Amino acid sequence: MSNAIITTKDLSKSYSSGAVSTHALRGISLEIEEGSFTCIVGPSGHGKSTLMHLIGGLDRPTEGSVHLEGTDLSRLDNSQLAQLRGKKIGFVFQFFNLLQGLTAKENVEVAMMLSDISEKEQGNRALKLLEMVGLAEKADAKPSQLSGGQQQRVAIARALANDPAILLMDEPTGNLDSAAEAEVLEILNKLHAGGKTVVIVTHNNEIAKNAQRTICVKDGRISC
Amino acid sequence: MTLSKLVFKNITRRRGRFVFTLLGITIGIASFVTFLSMGGSLKSEINRESASLGANLIVTPIGSCAYEQVSILTGEILPSNINMENVAKIQAIKGVSAVPVLTEKTAIANKPVSVNGIDVEKMKGFKSWEIGKGAYFSGADEAAVIVGFAAAELFKLDAGATIVVRGEQLPVKGVLKETGGRDDLTVFLPLPLAQRLYKTGDNVSYMAVKVANLALTDSYIQQIREATNLGVISDKQMLKSVLSIVGTVNITLQMIAAVSVLAAAFGIINTMMTATYERKREIGILQALGAKQRTIFTIFLLESGFYGIIGGATGVMLGFFVSMTAAPYITQNAFTSFVKGSDSGIMIDPKTVIGSILFSTIVAILAGVYPAWRAARLSPVEAISYE
Repeated sequence: MSNAIITTKDLSKSYSSGAVSTHALRGISLEIEEGSFTCIVGPSGHGKSTLMHLIGGLDRPTEGSVHLEGTDLSRLDNSQLAQLRGKKIGFVFQFFNLLQGLTAKENVEVAMMLSDISEKEQGNRALKLLEMVGLAEKADAKPSQLSGGQQQRVAIARALANDPAILLMDEPTGNLDSAAEAEVLEILNKLHAGGKTVVIVTHNNEIAKNAQRTICVKDGRISC
Repeated sequence: MTLSKLVFKNITRRRGRFVFTLLGITIGIASFVTFLSMGGSLKSEINRESASLGANLIVTPIGSCAYEQVSILTGEILPSNINMENVAKIQAIKGVSAVPVLTEKTAIANKPVSVNGIDVEKMKGFKSWEIGKGAYFSGADEAAVIVGFAAAELFKLDAGATIVVRGEQLPVKGVLKETGGRDDLTVFLPLPLAQRLYKTGDNVSYMAVKVANLALTDSYIQQIREATNLGVISDKQMLKSVLSIVGTVNITLQMIAAVSVLAAAFGIINTMMTATYERKREIGILQALGAKQRTIFTIFLLESGFYGIIGGATGVMLGFFVSMTAAPYITQNAFTSFVKGSDSGIMIDPKTVIGSILFSTIVAILAGVYPAWRAARLSPVEAISYE
């Protein structure tokens, strides 16, 4: 592929605990095209989330490399990696991971604050993003006052705060009922249609069906 | 959203813990401020008393120690060991004006009051007193008293009233105008009358001496010593020695208070360490959102610093409140605390305010360094996967 936004080469990750070494990933090479909708599927504990963490710069590989828009992540120091995460990647997790002490709007604003966006602009953009995910009226609600589906929509709004090129999602519907799942899926389709590169780790067949490409990970290797 | 708003929301989220951690630093700083301001007020009180003595030299029995020197300033009873023969010898030295004083105590309405037996003629000129009500003594051995301004006000004594001293009814001949010193709280008797009532024989407690030429102070001291074999100390030396005692006590108390602030710092470390464990996942979220290690470090350090700023400010307020309410009972005796015009003189000193808040902030920030460092070095994956 010529316009790959994400490229991994011989990506391996192993964890050592005393004399025991666990291989989570064993030499994964892949390319993900810009603007594509990709699902990473596979059984639990076979390395899907580890792959997502490495692609997103949350972790560093034991061997191999990750290139994001041509940047070799292994060449970045921790500070540069954090900056890249903030600007180029939007993360969405299974357990929503909202900051409990903050309102929905503040949760979105925090992501912008970390990218040095002015307070005024934060407020305007946060409201627009919450409106986009259908939660403008819940802007001042705390996570504990929102349903699971609503919390995940706030998490998506937050992931979009800095207008990243890539959305990385780890089981985004894993904790949602079918109605909430449908809402989230609709948003994801809209984002993909808007040009975002969407990479989702999932067990969910419905989501996988929506994807343009499915990558299967088994025993730390790509199996399909 | 700003970093400081985020920090404030974080520390106030768990209100109980916030309040208790804050109390630790508040109490530490409050005790620090209390000792500092009380020490300051004690110093200014001593300076004021020293100035109101109106003497350049004080003659005391030989071997008098710092306690006696303090007693001259505070109006406590002193041993009466200087006889009139020595008084006359000192008064005979050229270039000095010397007045004998016998310091005793009596009680009016069950409250202790200083009584000074004085040489009525010499003392009036020596002190430049003015009579507010009634008249001054007309004879050297008149059976009457003159009352200080504040004592007259407290006990509602006017010229013509009577008080009982050592079982003897004595008329109040006059009331002095306010002097701003201890004389306001004193009852004055002619010396022979005081010596008779208190059975001190021919003796007085100390002599206050004014010299004609300050440049020759050392020479006067020498002359007095040679003539009488008594102890002589200049008012400046006395002030210095009393202030040095007070200063030592103050520094000791302030150090104890500073230790309590350090103890509170460990409370902050504890709270911040707990926060790093509890908020591990939150740290991971922030890292995923683009927070750099130094941002995480700053967040936790600011949280710690906030404890210092808020605890410092509330501590300063509490400290001044305690100083103002409790100081009169500590720095002065039960009687003077009731007297208008003899307040403790606690001043809200900007240096104390800024210094204390700065001290508590620095201590709190230092306390936050280790927890903040721990939080900052968490790996994003480890933190975000924490349950």
